[in-house]
Amino acid sequence: MDQRIVMIDPGTGQTLTEEQHDERLATAAALLRRRGVRAGDTVLICLPVGSDLLVAADAVMAAGAAVSPLAPDGDGLWERVVTSSARLMISDDPRALAAAQDSRIRVVMSAAELGA
Amino acid sequence: MADAPRHNLPAEPNRFVGRERDIGDLCAMFDETRAVTLCGVGGIGKTRLALRVAHRLLDDFADGVWAVELAKISRPELVVQEIAEVFGLESERGRDLTDAVVTRLAGSSCLVLLDNCEHLVEATAHAAAALLAGCPGVRVLATSREALRIPGELIWHVPPLDLPGSDPSAAESVQLFLNRARAAGTQLGEESLPDVARLCRALDGLPLALELAAARTRMLSPGQIADRIDDRFALLTSGDRTAPARQRTLAAAVEWSHDLLSEAEKTLLRRLSVLAGGFDLDLVERVCAEPPLSESRMVTLLGALVDKSLVICDEDRGRFRLLDTIRQFAAERLADSDEERMVRDLHLRVLCKLQERAFDAEFLTPGVTWRERLAAHTGSRDRLADQRAALEWALRSGNITMGLRLCMRSSGLLSLGGSAAEVVGWVERLLRQDLSLVVPEQIGLAKGYLAYGLLSRDDLDSGLAAAREGLAGMAGDPFVLATAHTVAGGALLRMGRGDEATVHIDSALAVARENGDRFNEAGALIEASIYSLQRGRQREAQRGAEDAYAVANAHGHPWILAMAASHLGLAAETRGDLESAAEHYDAAISWLRELGNRGDLAQNLARSGRVCAQLGDLPAARERLAEALAMARECGLRQAMNRCLVSLATLARAEGDLESAVLASSAVATLRESMGQRTGSVKVDELLSAARAKLGEGRTTSLWSRGRSRPPYEVATQVLEGRRPEPATGPLQVGPVRGSLLTAREQEIAGMLTRGLSNKAIAEELVISPATVARHIANIMDKLGYTSRAQIAVWAADHGVPSA
Repeated sequence: MDQRIVMIDPGTGQTLTEEQHDERLATAAALLRRRGVRAGDTVLICLPVGSDLLVAADAVMAAGAAVSPLAPDGDGLWERVVTSSARLMISDDPRALAAAQDSRIRVVMSAAELGA
Repeated sequence: MADAPRHNLPAEPNRFVGRERDIGDLCAMFDETRAVTLCGVGGIGKTRLALRVAHRLLDDFADGVWAVELAKISRPELVVQEIAEVFGLESERGRDLTDAVVTRLAGSSCLVLLDNCEHLVEATAHAAAALLAGCPGVRVLATSREALRIPGELIWHVPPLDLPGSDPSAAESVQLFLNRARAAGTQLGEESLPDVARLCRALDGLPLALELAAARTRMLSPGQIADRIDDRFALLTSGDRTAPARQRTLAAAVEWSHDLLSEAEKTLLRRLSVLAGGFDLDLVERVCAEPPLSESRMVTLLGALVDKSLVICDEDRGRFRLLDTIRQFAAERLADSDEERMVRDLHLRVLCKLQERAFDAEFLTPGVTWRERLAAHTGSRDRLADQRAALEWALRSGNITMGLRLCMRSSGLLSLGGSAAEVVGWVERLLRQDLSLVVPEQIGLAKGYLAYGLLSRDDLDSGLAAAREGLAGMAGDPFVLATAHTVAGGALLRMGRGDEATVHIDSALAVARENGDRFNEAGALIEASIYSLQRGRQREAQRGAEDAYAVANAHGHPWILAMAASHLGLAAETRGDLESAAEHYDAAISWLRELGNRGDLAQNLARSGRVCAQLGDLPAARERLAEALAMARECGLRQAMNRCLVSLATLARAEGDLESAVLASSAVATLRESMGQRTGSVKVDELLSAARAKLGEGRTTSLWSRGRSRPPYEVATQVLEGRRPEPATGPLQVGPVRGSLLTAREQEIAGMLTRGLSNKAIAEELVISPATVARHIANIMDKLGYTSRAQIAVWAADHGVPSA
């Protein structure tokens, strides 16, 4: 496989090659399935812009679900989380995690857990 | 053991509504995940959901699913004990109970449901982590308001029920409300749906809140309830104002329901919070009927609370309980009232009285049949949860005298019924408190009783010391006096100090006879006869054993009858009368079956098996030893396992199978060492020299070391099944992978992965989008159970999937 770079993380400056992307995406998608994500579901992703976000979003799509992205510093975050119909959320953001307590989200995964 | 029960899940009190997808998801998670914790606020339905999941997983676990209810206990050290009790394990001196549980479940495939962990998170987490680490086939499902935080735990937040959308009647919350309203006798028509939907939204779909509201539909319409709940929300007085909205909604619903109660109903509800486990009307009448209430109103008041869904009852309204959330609310109300001390003191006194009465019927009252003695024993054991709560209060309120009294009348805490000698812990805790207000005689009695508990844990030195201290100070209770003397005598006999023992045994006999206490008289006669056997006086021993049996028979307690019968068997076996020995052991076995005491039962089965083997009745020997072995394993008692192995060695020798005899004997040696016991005996030396002569030095040594290197239970099973020791077999072959599950497209992509192509390259080749490729790969991994692309490539190459 070629070493084509598909992403440069704006925070760390680290690069993500196509090979890394495909591999992490596959692993993350398999894990999402195991956590109950099915075709037609919505998954909330509240991660800062970067390679984690890219891989997480692609993994959610690969698992057959729809991505509902949320900016960690955005307005109305609490409202969006609490009223969301998502069953799973991918986030490390403390405000999003607190809001999840009052939502219908069953499972919360961190970026690290997802391996994304 | 094919027909042994495979679960202990309680029956559900009413219909379970909704959550189909969640149940399916959760069941599927146990394929990969070993621990799932259902988290959420009280009243959100964690327990009901967990029970549903557990029921559905019944066929997935060969050794079943087992619920451990933790709401009723308050001490961290009781967590493991509660788990041990569910699995029928018994405690043993010098053995960590967690270790016993892990050993017992190491080879099992089962689901352990730890229900209501939040008040004991640390102890529960510790126990769960030990189980997961030591028992590969065990999965844990926990319910808790907070996570256990153990490795590998998946935290699953239980959401409220679905709220009504465009079609209100399809929503889970609406369905639950309507179902419970119907159960309360209210048929709500189509026209009330909008109000029901509004109410469900106001209650945020919280199951407990919906149940409480539905129970009121005979008096109020759904619209009226919704209005009042809204008002209530503004007036909320209890709970934490910064708590999550859901918790506040629930608090509002509970408060609202509570405020609608009459003063008398409120009083009863808060008093009920002192009852620890399930309860019956009788206990309510005794503990909760103080003025302003009265005994005659209890049925009506309790019924009213049941109708309002604040108290849950079984179908025939015989047993009642409070949901944990309601119990906590009621306990807070009780703490706010001025009657907490009064009610808890009364609970302690009532328990004391009930247990004393049961104790009298079980041990002291003359002329009682064994069935009545057994009923008293069972009744006492059924009050264990309340007894523990009462002892906890005795400690907290400094009422040491009453606490000690309750301990001394606790047959349920003793080893008679086969349970752990938990009484030791309670007496020791109580004796560590300020004793300045306790009369010295009472302390003496408590120590005498403590001695009994210590001896039944095989703790000879401490038992003797406690008995002596107790004897020096006690007065006023001849039963305990005689018991302490018997314990001292028994301990000394087992230490080989017969001369000192006889002094105590004679005193025990004198006290017991003077007071018509046949239980202790029989016990002392057995000890005296053991001493005769020790000195080789067989006829004297036989006479003593017969006397003991006659006195035990006159008393009628199944346990003392079993002990006397067992001792008669031992006396007969010692003088070589094997037929009589077998008969006596069998009599002891049937008494112990009545009592449900499995530790002593395993011992007597092992003895019976040994005698049958010597008599040449090998099938009978095998049958008894098989049961003894299963029981020893179930209760996790190493002493019982040890006796099984000794008997198995005898059986193997009787069959001329020297190899198995050596194997069993070496396992005995290992087990004894692990228990800190002396090993080696004339019998073993004789066996080994016979084996060396027949099998040769090398084979004997190899058998001996094999018996020592494997788990005792495994060795015992092998010897029991008469299998000749075989060389170890190689690792199992891995089964074929189910490649045929893949679709043609998935096979094609799997093949292309062996060429190391990127998603984009595959997409270009197949003229599809990279996202679609990623999705196919996710499906392949799902079907094959893999977690990386590389695994698929290896699999495809191994299975000859074409790469182009």
